[in-house]
Amino acid sequence: MAKKNFSNTYIFIYSAVLVVVAALILTVVSVSLKPFQQKNQAAETKQMILKTIGIEATRDNADQLYAQHITEADGHYTFSGGIVLPLKGTGLWGPIWGYLALDPAGTVVGAIFDHKGETPGLGGEISSDKFAQRFIGKRMDTQPIALRKNADPASAHEVDAISGGTMTSNGVTDMLAKAYNDYSSLNTEH
Amino acid sequence: MKNIDLIKLPFNKQNPITVQVLGVCSCLAVTAQLKPAVVMSLSVIVVVMLSNLIVSLLRNTIPPRIRIIVQLVVVSTLVVLVDQVLKAFMYDVSKQLSVFVGLIITNCIVMGRLEAFAMVQKPWPSLLDGLGNGLGYSVILIALGFLRELFGSGTLWGYPVAEKLGLYSLGYENNGLMIMPPMALILTGLIIWWQRAKNKDLIEQ
Repeated sequence: MAKKNFSNTYIFIYSAVLVVVAALILTVVSVSLKPFQQKNQAAETKQMILKTIGIEATRDNADQLYAQHITEADGHYTFSGGIVLPLKGTGLWGPIWGYLALDPAGTVVGAIFDHKGETPGLGGEISSDKFAQRFIGKRMDTQPIALRKNADPASAHEVDAISGGTMTSNGVTDMLAKAYNDYSSLNTEH
Repeated sequence: MKNIDLIKLPFNKQNPITVQVLGVCSCLAVTAQLKPAVVMSLSVIVVVMLSNLIVSLLRNTIPPRIRIIVQLVVVSTLVVLVDQVLKAFMYDVSKQLSVFVGLIITNCIVMGRLEAFAMVQKPWPSLLDGLGNGLGYSVILIALGFLRELFGSGTLWGYPVAEKLGLYSLGYENNGLMIMPPMALILTGLIIWWQRAKNKDLIEQ
């Protein structure tokens, strides 16, 4: 390393310039990429909702299929065979969310979950199809569905939790309980 | 040192994970499955190469007293760029990696190579050094991801290997310990043991 003597003034100017350049680059990139990112996110939400009612959409045709099959109502979505409840909650590292499609009797016909930053392979498994499949046929009618270790497969209100993902599983249970409250108040109104 | 050694040595005698024992945190965190391990490897290769190159180009202008801060600014700028680009154009991959892209900033291999190499070497060797170390890191990550996903979940890249082979009907069960981070540490230890048993030069007195 060249052993130069750097004056304090040099150091201050150097760090100021460096930080401003870095900030400029990041601002430009962030602003120019934002539309792409938002489009991805919006399309993904529609894909997720469509998937709960059994329609596989790609990111390109999601808009069109969504307009055909889904009607947005106050705080939930309706489709020909029932309603789709949005789920929102917190996992271990950040937000988790999902959608639950219910037939008029309150039986789950489709489910999907996703997360921002749960550990891949552990809590992150909630976004897998395998996990979502466990919810099919469970019921949100008289009480919310809950995640349990060694859940009773015969029970309509219990689903197996994720091994190694206890905090995330608890988060899913909490958001299901919240959705159940909304759902039951929805039913009493009608 | 010849340029080719910059690529070759990190695979064995100078492996960043098993010999220098750097970057172990992410190696435990992202190897429960093969796919995140591979994408994480690629992201680290890109970040180490580019940060090595940039710091090497700037090396004569960086005041030694604030060099760590300067390196950190370069690395974090690159990592945020990678993250943003993934989110815009490879959305599914970026979701798979989630928080770990951001954590490349704290990967000791990146800072280690900047301090040990890029600060005192010309740009081209620095770029190669970054590539070599990124690849050395990748080899271990992919090996761990392979073993952990295969024995822990019975799948490879999401493909249900154990189920297709009909192992479950023979009474086979997945090893739940494999998907826990401690097992990654144990496996890393076993790799270090195996490497040193083969290569006696690496054994400390």
